[in-house]
Amino acid sequence: MNRSIKYSIFLYATAVLVTLFTLLPLVWIFLMSISSPHDLTKAPLEWIPSEFDFSRYGRLVDLDNGSGERFLSALRNSLMTAGGATFIALLVAVPAAYAFSRRNASMALLFAFLATIMMPPITYILPLYDIFSQFGMLNSTTTLIIVYSAMLLPFATWLMKSNIDVLPVEVEHAAFMEGASTLFTLRRVVLPLARPAIAATAILSFLVAWDEFFYALIFTNDLTAKTLSVAIADFSAGRVTDYGVVAAVGVLATLPPAFLAICFQKFIVSGLVAGSVKG
Amino acid sequence: MPSLQKPDNETSISSKILEVRGLHKKFGEVEVLKNINVDLDDGDFLVLVGPSGCGKSTLLSCIAGLTETTSGVISIGGDDVTTLDPAQRDIAMVFQSYALFPNMTVAENIGFGLEVRRVPLVERKPLVEKAAALLKIEDLLDRKPAHLSGGQRQRVAMGRALVRDPKLFLFDEPLSNLDAKLRVTMRTEIKRLHKRLGASIIYVTHDQIEAMTLATKIVVMEDGVVQQTGTPREIYNNPVNMFVAGFMGAPSMNLMQADIVVKNDVAHITIERENDQPLVLQDDAPPSAVLDRQNGSLVLGIRPESMTDSTAPDKQVRIVDCLLDVVEPAGSDTYAVIKMGGIEAIARLHGEASVKQGERTGIGFNMSRLSYFDPDTGLRL
Amino acid sequence: MFGQRQKREKWFLLAPAMMLLALITLLPLVKTLWLSFTDARITALETTVQFIGIENYRYALTDTEFLDAIGRTLYFTFVSVGLEGFLGVGIALLLNQKFRGCFILRAVIILPWAVPTIVNAVAWRMIYHPEYGALNSMLFQLGFIDNYRSWIGDPATAMNMVILADVWKNFPLIVYVTLAALQTIPGDLLKAAAVEGAGAIKRFRSIVLPWIVGPLLVVMVLRTIEAFRVFDIVYVMTRGGPADSTKTASFYVYQEYFSYLRSGSGASYAVLVAGISAVLILAYYSGARRQNAGTRA
Repeated sequence: MNRSIKYSIFLYATAVLVTLFTLLPLVWIFLMSISSPHDLTKAPLEWIPSEFDFSRYGRLVDLDNGSGERFLSALRNSLMTAGGATFIALLVAVPAAYAFSRRNASMALLFAFLATIMMPPITYILPLYDIFSQFGMLNSTTTLIIVYSAMLLPFATWLMKSNIDVLPVEVEHAAFMEGASTLFTLRRVVLPLARPAIAATAILSFLVAWDEFFYALIFTNDLTAKTLSVAIADFSAGRVTDYGVVAAVGVLATLPPAFLAICFQKFIVSGLVAGSVKG
Repeated sequence: MPSLQKPDNETSISSKILEVRGLHKKFGEVEVLKNINVDLDDGDFLVLVGPSGCGKSTLLSCIAGLTETTSGVISIGGDDVTTLDPAQRDIAMVFQSYALFPNMTVAENIGFGLEVRRVPLVERKPLVEKAAALLKIEDLLDRKPAHLSGGQRQRVAMGRALVRDPKLFLFDEPLSNLDAKLRVTMRTEIKRLHKRLGASIIYVTHDQIEAMTLATKIVVMEDGVVQQTGTPREIYNNPVNMFVAGFMGAPSMNLMQADIVVKNDVAHITIERENDQPLVLQDDAPPSAVLDRQNGSLVLGIRPESMTDSTAPDKQVRIVDCLLDVVEPAGSDTYAVIKMGGIEAIARLHGEASVKQGERTGIGFNMSRLSYFDPDTGLRL
Repeated sequence: MFGQRQKREKWFLLAPAMMLLALITLLPLVKTLWLSFTDARITALETTVQFIGIENYRYALTDTEFLDAIGRTLYFTFVSVGLEGFLGVGIALLLNQKFRGCFILRAVIILPWAVPTIVNAVAWRMIYHPEYGALNSMLFQLGFIDNYRSWIGDPATAMNMVILADVWKNFPLIVYVTLAALQTIPGDLLKAAAVEGAGAIKRFRSIVLPWIVGPLLVVMVLRTIEAFRVFDIVYVMTRGGPADSTKTASFYVYQEYFSYLRSGSGASYAVLVAGISAVLILAYYSGARRQNAGTRA
């Protein structure tokens, strides 16, 4: 089938528009992070920086001077919170997913799991705050890990369940015939087979945890537990003297998820599609 | 739960490896197994055969312990195992898809059951090697299943089953994923293995040739019911009903409408033929049930090899001219389609027979190999 | 399958998950429900909490500020998700065509989704900046505006600007779901329609749209549930202002709790917001179930 010239022009013009819409904000934030403060306060703006200034990045990762401590501790907290929550969520989700997939656990229960995290966090926040403050657990990474793992658990269970569903059940039967217990079979037979699914679930869970703001805002109040999300909100709040610093922090906070999203795009997209369309 | 009949002496304990009594299985409202009774003696090779959906795989799964029974008793080696886990039944199973663990080597696959039972590695190794040697896969022990051919995977699956030396082996259509040539080789291999180990085996297949060649005992199933149990020869020569007659044997038994007139204990059989005069045969020694029925129509069963061009003179053989509708040379034999008794009957002629489509030729009917069936109940007379 | 042991095992496997969720969601939910019938306040002192029945609810349902917040949240939700749907389907249709660079564009589209919500909010706040913002500068240089404007400082535009930022981050999800659905349309179906003389618009309406509408609706309801919870982007971009023009329901409850320290009445607002969410969630499940029944058939 031949395409008319008109159609081609239309196609490429839209493609360029879409590309601009998608990338311009990102490109601009990056340019801000390396522009001189002088360029950023001109009106109208200097789009192409007069000089490339990477010093803000240097200051952000420098513990002794500048904002290093603030940024790096937030980065550490985010990594520990998201990583720890992902680990616990998977640890709990895999047996649950196995029960839903292979042990006939009621799907209504799984829907109930999913419904709990679809509710606005505002529904849970105050009693949670009370409980954690009673146990003196406010402003701690552990607390965030517990809350986040509950938040990640339903979706992780659901993703793992639909992945276990398509594994060959005969292999598990063979393991049972050979006398293996369920936990032994899970560890030795199911998990190795489900490794790609576990990777996909882990990446998606990590991204969701990395993105979380509300609970972190309420439960943390200083460098010991504040995550990047909260730190960035702090950076940008109040009187900002150099917007380039805020942009640099934003770029750094975006790098890990953007890196994961590009490298594991197939996993992530199939997980997103499955997770949002199937019920 | 009905109590099991206790065997009265030692020998009977060791001789009955498996007893299934009054087994029922329902999935919801659907009854897929109805009052199943099966026995297996030590060293028996029992083949469960039937078309897909007949319940044979469910029955195997119940025996394995992978499917709960609705009612009935299963005992293995004299012990009631009806409610026991698969692992407690002292059985091993070879799956249709082989069900090898893809993340483990061949050696780990074969040794899995021993690993589960915490047999130390030093004891495990010689056992695995022995099983591998038996199956001629010693060279493959370090490979992963993905790097094996279908036949090799099959051998590994069998190795995993026999390394533990269980009381009973279960095979679930183990050859159906292999190509035709390999299937024949593996069939022979399994038969040889059975001879050599003296193992007790239950083997599920939908392939009646596998059943005939492997079994010491065949159980034909249809519709969740055991149709017939017997040796291959009994099943082949004396099928109890039209289903078994039609299912066992390839090409299958010709089951045609026939009219019988009994005179002086001799059955005069008339079979209508399309575009031809009726075919008339005479059976001097019909079964008594046929004599009792006197005159009337019934279903006559003749196997293709009992309708041949063999010219060897025999008192039992009646030669009648027949019109060959279609001729299909198949190398060792030539099959000819003859329209008679409301069906396209198949005659098995000599491989070199020089007959052509549309010709008339003399077909010898072996009157000693006739089967008679009641057209209403389908049962053998 | 299997015997009694495995049936018991099911609960053993589920127990950790159920305990975690009971602790972090079920228990707080019940507690919030209870609070909503009391006059509890957040104080440092021990005070007696009185059970006051449905008083909080009676007040909440006549509280015009709260009802306005609900209205604004619904506006935010439906405009955001509507635009995301429109944009997502359009871009998915584009990406489903073959052109130079289509694979690169397909890969790049995920980037906005990967930007953390807070970074997205901060970035757009800078873009909207009344003095140094990129939007002002660009529109001015292109000649669309004569004077710089305060995009999120003006109650007339603030909400729509927040919506634009939200749409930019979330449209990729719709793109990928739609694209996945588009790629399952049998090519023969479209060719047959073309041979029968159906034009591009006719083909879209009678083949493509019915094919993608199921998954599209489901993902849009899912986005609706998410959008209705909106808090973080508002918190960072506008703090609910100016003149409450971006104060959403979650933000309203947040203030009732943590600014005015009225936990009892805040809880009743929270329960009402959760009730609306529950309706949306039920809609999601019935839609998803119908969708799955459709694909199985």
